[in-house]
Amino acid sequence: MTDSPPDGDLVDEAADSVEADAVETELEEIGFAAELTELVGASLWVDEFDTIRIYVARENWVESLRLARDEAGLTFFGWLSAVDWSTEVAVGEQVGEPDELIERYEVVCRLSSVTSSKGAHFFTEVPKDDAIIDSIVPLFAGAEWHEREAAEMFGITFVGHPYPLKLYLPDSFQGFPLRKSYPLLSREVKPWPGTVDVESMPAADGPSTTNVEAGDTGGDE
Amino acid sequence: MNFWLELVVKTVLVLILVVLPVALVVIFGELKISAHIQSRIGPYFAGGRFGWAQPLADGAKFIQKEDLIPAGADNPVFRFAPYVVLMGTFATFVVIPFGPDLAAENLDVGIFFLLAVSSLSTLGVLMAGWSSANKYSLIGGLRAAAQLIAYELPLVLAALAVVIQAGTLSLSGIVEAQANMEIFGLGIHLPYVLTGQILSFIIFTIAALAELSRIPFDMPIAESELTMGYLTEYSGLRFTMFFLGEYAAMISLAAVASTLFLGGYYLPGLSGDALKVAGPFILLGKTLILCFVFIWMRWSWPRLREDQLQSLAWKWLIPLALVNIVVISIFKVVL
Amino acid sequence: MTDIDARAAMHLSDASVSVELETQGMTLNIGPQHPSTHGVLRLVAKVEGERVMSVQPVIGYMHRGYEKLTEVRTYAQITALVNRIDWVSGFANEIPWIRAVEKLMEIEVPERAQWIRLILTEMTRISSHLLFMSSYPLELGAATPLMYALREREYVMDLIEGLTGGRFHPNFNRVGGVKPAAGGGSTQKKVSQDLPAGFFQGTREAMDRIDSVMDELDELVTGNEMVRARTIGVGVIPPEKAIEFGLSGPNARASGIDFDLRRDGEPYLPYDQVDFDVITEQTGDSFARYLVRKEEIRQAVRIVRQGIDNIKPGPLQAKVPRVLKVPKGQTYVRTENPKGEMGFYLISEGGRIPYRVKIRSASFCNLSILSWILEGALVPDLVAIMGSLDFVLGDVDR
Repeated sequence: MTDSPPDGDLVDEAADSVEADAVETELEEIGFAAELTELVGASLWVDEFDTIRIYVARENWVESLRLARDEAGLTFFGWLSAVDWSTEVAVGEQVGEPDELIERYEVVCRLSSVTSSKGAHFFTEVPKDDAIIDSIVPLFAGAEWHEREAAEMFGITFVGHPYPLKLYLPDSFQGFPLRKSYPLLSREVKPWPGTVDVESMPAADGPSTTNVEAGDTGGDE
Repeated sequence: MNFWLELVVKTVLVLILVVLPVALVVIFGELKISAHIQSRIGPYFAGGRFGWAQPLADGAKFIQKEDLIPAGADNPVFRFAPYVVLMGTFATFVVIPFGPDLAAENLDVGIFFLLAVSSLSTLGVLMAGWSSANKYSLIGGLRAAAQLIAYELPLVLAALAVVIQAGTLSLSGIVEAQANMEIFGLGIHLPYVLTGQILSFIIFTIAALAELSRIPFDMPIAESELTMGYLTEYSGLRFTMFFLGEYAAMISLAAVASTLFLGGYYLPGLSGDALKVAGPFILLGKTLILCFVFIWMRWSWPRLREDQLQSLAWKWLIPLALVNIVVISIFKVVL
Repeated sequence: MTDIDARAAMHLSDASVSVELETQGMTLNIGPQHPSTHGVLRLVAKVEGERVMSVQPVIGYMHRGYEKLTEVRTYAQITALVNRIDWVSGFANEIPWIRAVEKLMEIEVPERAQWIRLILTEMTRISSHLLFMSSYPLELGAATPLMYALREREYVMDLIEGLTGGRFHPNFNRVGGVKPAAGGGSTQKKVSQDLPAGFFQGTREAMDRIDSVMDELDELVTGNEMVRARTIGVGVIPPEKAIEFGLSGPNARASGIDFDLRRDGEPYLPYDQVDFDVITEQTGDSFARYLVRKEEIRQAVRIVRQGIDNIKPGPLQAKVPRVLKVPKGQTYVRTENPKGEMGFYLISEGGRIPYRVKIRSASFCNLSILSWILEGALVPDLVAIMGSLDFVLGDVDR
């Protein structure tokens, strides 16, 4: 979606009403996010790129989701997973500002509605040395598999989960693959050669009318 | 003639000259007909343009395969099971009349003997399922036992209706009765299916399909669930025995249905010597038409579930067959 | 025992386990290699006679570690990877990923590219549902619809291959549009690649053929008494359970949940400019799921026809920088894949490689209901129910 700031000099009425609609939708969404945060008793919400993120405290995890399901109509269980915020990464890139990062796991659950396009992501922070959180399987039976996967990939313990068995990995597997500290074995054996493939820039007046000469592309593949 | 010589001659004539070639023709027919129903061509390499040698090639391939017996299998039972199935099937060809005096053994209790002997195959199927040391085979064998036993009854009751109308258990006698039928004093030569036995024909055909374990009744094999059910562990020559046995049984039941309901070797207008020559071919033609219908049904429909299959037999076919018998008896007395 | 009987009553079959008979149950291992599990899925089933007491699905045989892979690949490289998640609907997997990246980079996709994406997505939907139409009757025992449906699917696959170069892995999306040019190198010119000659005519013919094969399949399968007896009332999923487990797509719509991301979700392709119906059924059994998918093929044909009528000339890709760096942010984009709702949650920290990508795949959530729904079912119904859920192991295991 394009990000165009409202322009007071617009003459076209149609454009005016579209702008008004867009602003109204935005207000509606902001309204929804704010309402939802108040409902579940969280303190922080972010709404950017059409994605609502609500940060709840770990103690209120199950209760907040229950309120969202029963009172806000977010009955559809989307998914549940986790994010590992670390400064030391074995493979991949680091965070943008490593000095300001607080190391933690974030457990994220998405709930949405089946009568409208509303949806929200609920985040809760779990400290790394105390990676325990309540299971939401009593609320949503479908969370069983998602929690098993998060448990085996990140090493987070879900208290009250009926079948805490590994989902994807064999039972004898050691380690937690999706943690940032877990290396990719193939990289240990053979170092990454670096990024050699670069997409060439399309020609100035649109690629459907020009044949780009080999020399203009800067010697790429 | 000497008893043993006669025995050998009859075995050769019936089994090798009748059953084997007709089975090969029917197998080839199944390959081609199923292909055209599915809008493909079917075999066209083996034997030139029509692929007629495909069944022979398949047979040759199976014969030269390794003889695999699972480690935990019950050896003697496993080895013997295919032959039990075959024995039950081949024995039915003894009484089928190919012409006015052309039955291998013209028993007076023809149809009774035939139905009794054909149910020996059930035992072979159970043996195969049990001895394979494989849970899928066991489930297949159990399903087969339940199904084959359940569908024996409609088969027998439908045949009984014909016996009541004909007045004799002998198969040649039934064909003669159809040839010499008289209703209201008119000498009509119509097959039984058109003179009141239509319901029995339908019941007999459905029960025959179930006895053969063909779709829509192939729960015992159920390829997509049980990977061939009781046949899972069979390979090579033993599998060929089962395979041939299935087609031989199909021919035998189709021939019996033709004899009971469609007039057997008799066509109105022929008599005496002409019938002795043309009779086998007439019977063959009717048998092949019925086999075509069986093949057509197999490739058009899905399979019924076990409990639906059983309820069809016990709740529908058997009561219908009993009602049918009562109606036929009343007509026999009145007309 | 009464619990199982109550669940068994839900399955609408007449057979019942007799309480006086002491039968010994056995543990039947279905899979990982089996004719009718859609890939390497293992079901550890406790079976008593013909009735399944409990089922524990074991998955992970196709786990390829996508989420870890995305932490070490650039955005363009990941585009080549994601069409392998649900390999039956290859092109449709790329859409949510590429939309997520475009959303964070705030790029506007030119119209022609959007329409091409829409046409290809609906063709992929036709192809995926035709594969369902061919394999589901085969699992029930009917061998003929397989040939008919796959024959017509070949025409659609030919069109997709002619345009993108790949039948299952088209690799056609680029950030900002679709692939604008092919070839290149030190001695060759890069050739602008738009829709190939004969594409529109070929598409119209293919859509006509699909309409006629759907009529044939209607006669052959939908009206068939035995198919109905095997699927009506089998595997009923009530709508509350469907929502709780996260069921989406045709599975949810068969249970009466009238929700389609093309119409009700966040707009990601110009679906508001085409006319189509969202098919729902109320019964929630296997037959309803079959009917929903069957009708969705017809609706997809409608959309493709409107698409090739509405498409206008224009550029195929917006201007993007040479080295893709996505600004910092988090977004979630979900789309209506043939299997259900597929979504990508993208966390970018402003580099050339994402920080974390969570892939929400439709079949994973669709399959998680299996142990609930198979309790108390008959063994043949197991196959009928699994087939009607239409999952792909690549989607489940990622």
